[in-house]
This record gives sequence, structure tokens and C-alpha cells, in this order.
Amino acid sequence: MDNLRNQKFTEKMQRKLAVSFMVVLLAFMGLSTRLYAISRDNGDQYKKQVLSQQSYDSVVLPAKRGEIVDCNGTKIAVSQKVYNVVVDAKTLNQKDGQFLEPTLTVLYEQPDISYNYTRSELRDYIVQNPGSQYRIIAKKQTYEAVSGLMTILNDSAKFPNIKGVWLEEAYQRNYPYDSLACDVIGFVQGDNEGSYGLEEYYNDILTGINGREYGYLNDDSNLERTIKPAENGKTLVTSLDVNIQSIIEKHILAFNKEHENEAREGNGSKNTGVIVMNPNTGEILAMASYPVYNLNDPRNTDGLTIEVSEDYGMNGIVISENGEEEGSTEAAEGTAETAETAENTADTLPDAEETAGEPVLSANVTSVTAPAGTELPETGEEAEAPAKQKTYEEAYEDAKMEALNALWKNFCINSTYEPGSTMKPFTMATGLESGELTGEENFVCNGVKEVGGHKIHCNNRLGHGKLTFSGALEQSCNVAFMNMGAMIGKDVFLKYNREFNFGLKTNIDLTGEALTNSLVFDLDTMTPTDLAISSFGQGFNVTMIQMITGFCSLINGGYYYQPHVVTKVLNDDGVVVNTFEPRVLKQTISKETSDKIVELCDNVVSQGTGKSARPAGYRIGGKTGTAEKYPRKRGNYLVSFMGFAPAENPQVVIYTVIDEPNVPSQASARYATVLTRDILTELLPYMHIFMTEELTEDEKAELMEKQIAFAVSASTEEEETGEVQLDEEGNPIAPADDSPQNTVGTGDEETITIIGGEEPETYEKKELSIDRETGYAIDPETGILLDPTTYAPVDPYASDLE
Amino acid sequence: MDGRGRRKGEKSFFDFTLLFVVIFLLCFGLVMLYSVSSYDANLNYNDSSYFLKKQLISTIFGLVIMTAVILVDYHIWSRFAFLAYVVSAVLILLVLTPLGYEVNGARRWLNLGMSLQPAEVAKVGVIIFYASLVCKLGKSLMTKKSLFFIGITTAFIAGMIMIITENLSSAIIVVGIVFMMIFVASDNYKEFIAIGAVGVFLAAIVIILVQKGVLTSEQSFRFARIEAWLNPEAFAADKGFQTLQALYAIGSGEYFGKGLGQSMQKLGYIPEAQNDMIFSIICEELGLFGAVAVMVLFMIMIWRFIVIANNAEDEFGALLVVGVMAHISIQVILNIAVVTNTIPNTGITLPFISYGGSAVVFLLIEIGLVLSVARSIKYKN
Repeated sequence: MDNLRNQKFTEKMQRKLAVSFMVVLLAFMGLSTRLYAISRDNGDQYKKQVLSQQSYDSVVLPAKRGEIVDCNGTKIAVSQKVYNVVVDAKTLNQKDGQFLEPTLTVLYEQPDISYNYTRSELRDYIVQNPGSQYRIIAKKQTYEAVSGLMTILNDSAKFPNIKGVWLEEAYQRNYPYDSLACDVIGFVQGDNEGSYGLEEYYNDILTGINGREYGYLNDDSNLERTIKPAENGKTLVTSLDVNIQSIIEKHILAFNKEHENEAREGNGSKNTGVIVMNPNTGEILAMASYPVYNLNDPRNTDGLTIEVSEDYGMNGIVISENGEEEGSTEAAEGTAETAETAENTADTLPDAEETAGEPVLSANVTSVTAPAGTELPETGEEAEAPAKQKTYEEAYEDAKMEALNALWKNFCINSTYEPGSTMKPFTMATGLESGELTGEENFVCNGVKEVGGHKIHCNNRLGHGKLTFSGALEQSCNVAFMNMGAMIGKDVFLKYNREFNFGLKTNIDLTGEALTNSLVFDLDTMTPTDLAISSFGQGFNVTMIQMITGFCSLINGGYYYQPHVVTKVLNDDGVVVNTFEPRVLKQTISKETSDKIVELCDNVVSQGTGKSARPAGYRIGGKTGTAEKYPRKRGNYLVSFMGFAPAENPQVVIYTVIDEPNVPSQASARYATVLTRDILTELLPYMHIFMTEELTEDEKAELMEKQIAFAVSASTEEEETGEVQLDEEGNPIAPADDSPQNTVGTGDEETITIIGGEEPETYEKKELSIDRETGYAIDPETGILLDPTTYAPVDPYASDLE
Repeated sequence: MDGRGRRKGEKSFFDFTLLFVVIFLLCFGLVMLYSVSSYDANLNYNDSSYFLKKQLISTIFGLVIMTAVILVDYHIWSRFAFLAYVVSAVLILLVLTPLGYEVNGARRWLNLGMSLQPAEVAKVGVIIFYASLVCKLGKSLMTKKSLFFIGITTAFIAGMIMIITENLSSAIIVVGIVFMMIFVASDNYKEFIAIGAVGVFLAAIVIILVQKGVLTSEQSFRFARIEAWLNPEAFAADKGFQTLQALYAIGSGEYFGKGLGQSMQKLGYIPEAQNDMIFSIICEELGLFGAVAVMVLFMIMIWRFIVIANNAEDEFGALLVVGVMAHISIQVILNIAVVTNTIPNTGITLPFISYGGSAVVFLLIEIGLVLSVARSIKYKN
């Protein structure tokens, strides 16, 4: 050790160390220069490369789309894992293609996989495209089909020569009930993108987050993969009940089949919508419309009539129905149906005229037959007037898309229409709540009332005679309601309309709710005539969901619940991550007024126009509606019934709307009431709502028969009960001794002054003469032929609104 | 003599600059290691700090041993010089026994209760052995007999590292350490320049032969790496993948980088970026600026080595420091050269920063030796 200590590090050595240090320093400087050169010369290129390979070199692991289930957990929409078989030609061509044949042999030994190529086609492709690394050779195969292949691919030790093939996971959306609740559910298209209904509204929640699989090469140039798993989408629990939904869809279908091709070519109605709702929560129990489509095959056009108008090539000029030439832009705004008709209608319906071109109205327009020059606004293409000529194929394609778009839309929230008499409970509630009406008024109807220079007829052209407040609703007397409207005044009327959310969205959790703000009156636009017809539900537009939600508040004590379909959101493990509690948005009317409306609606069904809606054994409340569609005097009606059960303690509200029933004379709410009755007959026992009324022998027999024949046919009550006298709403006329004040033609001859009316009105008995040729009665004032038993106009083209 | 024979009036010296640089590099290395490895660790071990924790334990263990080494008089090690050589050789041979195990297809590790890489032991062993040997040989260092002995012993240990553990880079480092120690200790220049020239010439021939296709990747994976080095784009999918991805990382970092933790290349594109390729992620996240700053830190460290060697009490101490300096500087230069594709890929880690438990422990032992030598420096007021 002393030796060691004596040996010094000499100056020479120090010099050599300095030389070493210089060498190291030079090396460091050289490397710094190299780093600088890389950044300077290739910085931008490498930057792009880094960004671009982010997507190229990794595989997306699709997240499973969340399910949609009903309130009992029944699955309405599910996602199923499927597999694409992918070949990597580059790998298969490695090592002189020694993997090619063994791999092909294994691939084509799988009996259940259906390939897009034959074996020789695939071999040619692989040999000719050595650079290809991604080619799907079999799409959307089930697990059962690929399981054999999967075992082989995962066992590379046993099958070392099987390379360049892998299975790509994907999910396929399946709807086990095909068309059930199609309008509410919506479908998925393209890359997991929801369209319409819940699928679109809750797309973000359902989609989940895709995972990734990264491939890389390790030190020894072997391909390795790392996986970041996908986060699956969440499950929606809805308030829908598959059984209730099935019941209403079954009856809607039965109705439409029954009246198919009856008065015109086509379905039993232009549209039939039914909503069933819980009035105490705002939850939608069922919602359906007709026609329906198969969610598993939404683009199937088999049931659709696609009409390409003959002038598809003549872009810019559209021949309207009247044969007048109109510019295409005008046609696009007004659509074919807004052609000028009677001058009167233009006066009474200023808003409808202005806004007919709004998207929301297009559902009321025959979009299928719309001229090729007019695009549906929702296709996003404005009907400009380019000189481009369309080929037939293009025109056909457009027409097909229009037809499909019309089919996919949810009538119950997307279509706007004039509600008709189902508006009357709202008018009464407005009057009672505001104090403008007391409920003690009496009215006299002699069949017509002149307002603002227009003669507006009652549904009963001969007049209802003297009516009590309740009788006005029971008989659905337009004259009485026009008087009520006048007593309420437009300020209060419009204020309450806004309170009931007319003109606003309900914000139901479904895509495509129509906005009706431009389809209702405001203080500036409302004339006395508008007020008069609005009081019985004509002249402004609503959606079904607005009507039923508003109506729920009328009968549940005044609570306006936000309508909703989804009640809970569950994560992948079934844990509740979000709950949507019933949400009261506002109080529309007081409990007292609400109780009064319930009582009035009860009367409508027990002794008024709604009789035929009552299912055997139950007491229900409701209101019928027969709205004449715009343009007037075409004989086109929208008939409806709004009902609730049980009458004393409403647990369920149902709203049935039939748009243009395919019958010779559409103006009968009976189509809606009978449909409602058929639905309720099945629905109420299912919902454990017990019968409270005694059954007659006929009803017992009928129920016995129905229990067996439920699935076979819709009710044909006319045949069961024989000849029944029908009033305008299609309901049997009450015998004279039941309610003498309602009987037409036998009323007192003296003049009665109505209480609360602005001016005394008189009611006179009318003498009817009989047309000898037809046997119909003739209205002495207008000369219109009337049915001798119902006094309804025989000619469907004679309008009530003039 | 017990080595503590300090005369009164002399202050003991401690090289805080070097210690500071080492600790700074270690901390910086841990931060970078976490940034680089957390993604991979989370995927494979479901714990983003998996690598960080293991490295932290090794680092603390290494610091403890380093402290012990500092406190021991370095002269003691000359007694164990031959033993160090033998132990190194035996440990390498042990890799062939069931004690050895593979990681990523390379059988380089020993399981002795804790995992150990014999090549790391050999580097320290070689430094002590040759420092002692050179001192013993004294003036007779440059005789043919001595050089032959040095050549044989070096070839033996380097050959074992290369053949048994298939670790060419460690073999190169061992040869480099011996080369530099002998160079410093000897009086001659020409011979070393000649050896260097022959080495470069042989390398050039190999490269040319690979380029001409005489030597191909099928004969050895090393030739494949040369192929990939010459033209990384052509082998972008396999052999050139790692190198090319590292270049992308460097290029995309530009002058000031994407920011700490913002690397995209570490997300599965650069395989095991926490090992050899960590410098490319430093470039990507901290830019050219960060990369040069790291190199400056290493330069400061090497400068301190020179200062300590020049002022060392004796030749043995100085040669120990020279060996450590050779080790660290060669390894840093080769690592950065690989990352920048200046030389073919050999798999060399970046000292103090790359992930590797054995490496950091033995590097800290070496630093301990250097600081121990520094302690013996005497101020002369």
C-alpha cells in the first residue's frame, strides 16, 4: 500500500487525461450538433409523423353501446359483439409467403364464417397487394362462427405458421322487438351514431369511450400489443312498458288494417298516434304512431310508396294542384297544399299561412308525394333554383329519402296540428282559474255564431239549444265555447295558453320535438275570430306531447311535470349513476280548478260525446276532438280522444290521435274513442286498476268474447249494438228523456237569454225540409244536406268553419 | 497504514459539486422515468408508478452503499483487485446456471435474492482490477508482456460478456474503459491512435459489407441492426422501428419540447422507452434545450472527475477516477449516439436516468469510489 501511495499521477498522465477530456467534449459537441440537425431538418416532418401514426398504428377497441330497457328491465335495444376477420397481406408475404397457404387452409376450414372472397380470390389479393395490412374478409360474424378460428389464432405455439390474420371486434345494435316503440327508440347508423328518439338524444351516454390497442416492436423486433380497454356505454332505464307499448301498437295496427284502402289507396290513416302517460310523474309509459318501421332494418322501403313526380327534371317550376304555376321557392315555403283556397281561410288563419313552410308543419304535408322540386327542410337542402337537371335516379333517391324521413319521424312529438275540441277543457280551466267563468253559466246554441264578420258553425248545425256549463263540454258545443272565449278575453286566454306550454317545447328527452312558437297566436296577431276558433282548438298548432302533458296538469291538481322517458342511467355493472326524478316545472291551475275539470271530463264520458270511449267496468274521464284540417273544406279531419282513468283518481292518461282516418266521412271522433276504448279495455286490467262499475250482461259477454278474441280483431261495436244514432262526434245520441236540454229539434220555442253572454242570443227551432231525391234533411239557412238522424253535414266538403 | 493518516492543519476535502450533480441527475432521472414509464406501467401492471417505485428503492439502496464506499479508504480495494476480476467472471458464468434468467428474450440477469446484472459488476471489477494492475506494472506497463496480459484478460472478460450474456454494448464499454485507462497511464500516443484507426477501419469494412449485402441480417441480428441504421425508413415496420420512432420523438420535440409529461411517443410507440430510449423522450418533452442541459450536466460531472484525478493523492486513486470517467462518458456518448441514429442500435442505457436497478447501484458505487478518492485530496492552505 505504501507503494501505491508513492506512485503519483504524473503530469504526463494529466496531459493525457486532458486529451481524453477533449475527445469526450468533442463527442458531446458532435452529438449536440446532430440533435440540432435532426430538429432543424426533420422537425416538421417528424412532428407530422408522430401525429399521423397515432391513429395508424393502433386499433380502436369499440366500446359497447349501452342498452335501452323498459321499466321492468326488458331489453328493447342491445348491442351484440361481432367480429370482422382481417388479413394483413404484408405479414402473409413475409419469408417468401411460407405462411400463406397454411393460413388460407385454416381460414377456409371454418364452416360458419361467410367470407366475401373465395380462397383463390383472397390468395390473388394477398399476392398482388403485398403492402396491404388491413383488409376485412368477413364482416360481422358471430362469436360462435369465429370461435374456432379464435382458438387457433390465440395458440401461436401450436400453429406457428398461422400469421397475418386477426379478429377485429365490433358491436352490432339489435332490437329484439323489431318495430316495437320504433319512434321512441330510434336506430343507430354508421359509426355508432344514434338517429332519432332515445338513440340520438342520449347518444353521448349510450356511446361510451372506445379503447385502443397499440402494436409495437420490442428489442428483438417481435410485435407486441398493449391494450387500453374500452369504457362501455351506459344503460338507459326507461319508463316505457313493453306490454303497454305492445297493447297500443296492436290496436293501432288493427285500426289501420281495418280501414286500409277504404276511402283512398293506402294505410287506414295518414298517421295514428297514441301516448300513454303517468299524470303524477310525467313518465311516458308508451308512445306509438303508425306507420312503423323495423329498427333492425330502418332503410327497408318495402312498405313505402315512393312517388317521383313527373316533373322531376323541371327544377324551378312546380305545378300546384290547382294547376297554377308557382315558383319553386314559393312552393317550398308553402308546399303543395298551401295553394290559395277560399278567401275566408286566409283571414281566419293568418299564422298558418305564414308558417306553413316551417319544418314542423311538413309532417302534416304529404311529404311522400311532394314535388321533386321541394325538398324536405330536414334533409338540409334548400330548394334553391339551380338550373341543374335531375336524373330520374336522383329524383327517386330524393323521394325515397323523403319517404324514409317521414317514416322515421315520431308523430307524437314531431308533428303539429290543430287540436280541435280536446282543447276545450283547457279553455274551461282558463276561465275557471282566472275567474272569468264561474262554472254556473248557461249557454244557448242555435248552431252558428257570427264573430268578426265570419259565420262560425257549431258541430251541430241545428244547435244544441240551452246548455249548462258542463253540458257545453259534454256536447262539445262550439258556440258555447266561442262565448266562453269572448268572456275570457284574448289577454287571459293567451296568458294561460302559455302557462299550458302551448307554443313552447315540453323538452321531453327525445330528439325532434317540434317547436310551435310560430304556430300560435300572440296578442298582436289574434283577432276576435281567432279567439273564437281557438277556444275550441282550431287556428293554432300543438304537438301531441304538448297536449297530453298540459292535460295531465289539468287533472292531477295542476302540476305541470316535464314529460320524460328515461328514469335511470346505469353503468356497465348495473349500478345506478343517474336518476331522473319527476320534475314539476310549474303549477298551471289550482287544485280546485283541477278537480272541477276532472268532474267535467267525467261527465263527458258518462253522459256526453265520449261515451264510446268507456271500457266496460270502468269510469273514465276524457274529451273528444274532431279538428278540421287546414286547408278547410277538403273533408280532411284529425280526430282524437284525450282520456284518463280511473275518473276519480287518475292513474293513467291516454291520448289518441288519428290523422285523416281512411274513411269516407272522417269527421267522427268515434274512431278515436273506440280505439281508446279497445286499448283501455286491455290496458287497465294490466295496470292493476280495478273495475268499479257494474257490468251489464252485454258487456260481460263482450269481455268474455274479447278475452279470447283480443288478438284477433279490433272491436266492431257497431255490429254488436246494432243501429245506433250518432252525433257529430260519432257517439250515440242520448235519448231525449235522459237530457232533454240536449235534444235537437224538440227544444222550446221561446227565446232564452243566456247568462254571461255579451249580447242576447236567441235560439229558434228550425224547420227542416227533406230532400226528396236523397232523403237527407236540408238546412234552411245554408241549403246544406244534413243527415236526418245526426244533423251532421252529409257533404264532407262542407266546412264547419266559414 | 490505515489510510487515515492525515496531518493536522489539513482540511478534509469533499467534492460537493460532484455530489450535487449526481443527486440532481438522479432526481431528474426519476422524474423522467415516471413521465416515460407511467403509461406502460399502468397498462401492464395497473400501477402507473410501478417502475418509479422499483427504481426509487434501487436508488436509495445505491446511495446507502455509496456512503459506505465513501467512508472506506479506497486503497483497500487494491487488495481485492484480482478478486474483483474473478468474481466478475464467475458471476457472468453463473448466468448459465439456473440462477440466471431471461428478460425480454435476453439472458443477462442473476437472481441472487435480488436481481443483478453481472455485466454491471464487471464494469466496477474491471476498473479496480486494471487501476491496481497498472500501478503494479509501473514502468513496465508498455512492455509486450504486460500489454499481452492486459489484452488477454480484457478479451476474456469482454468476450464472456458478449457471448454468454449476448451483451455487445457492455463488452464495448469494458474494452473502452481499459483502453482509456491504459491510454492515460502510458506515455505513448501512436499505438493508441493506430488501435483506434484499426477499430474504425474494421467497423467501416463491416458496414460496407452489410451495405453491399455480403453480410445479411440472416447471419446475425447485429447485421440487421446495421442495415436498419443505414436506412431506418426502409425497415420502419420492424428492425428500424425503435430507432425511427426515437428520431420522430427527437424531431417532434423541436427546441423547447412539448412539455414535461406531454410526449406522445411514449404512448406505446417507443418500446420500453424507460430503458435505452429515455433520452429521446427527454428530447420530445424538453426539447433540444433540455437535452443539451442534460449533456452539460454530464460534462460538469466529467470535469469534476478530471479535477479529482489530477489532484488525487496517488496514481491508483487517479486511475480509479479515470476508469469511472471512461465508463460514464462512453456510456453517455454511445447512448445518445444510438438514440440519434449516429451509430447502430446496441442497447446502452443512459447512466443515472434510464431504468435499471443494478446499473444505478453500481454507478453509485463508482461515484462512491470517486468521492472517496476526492476525500483524500489534501489542501495545502
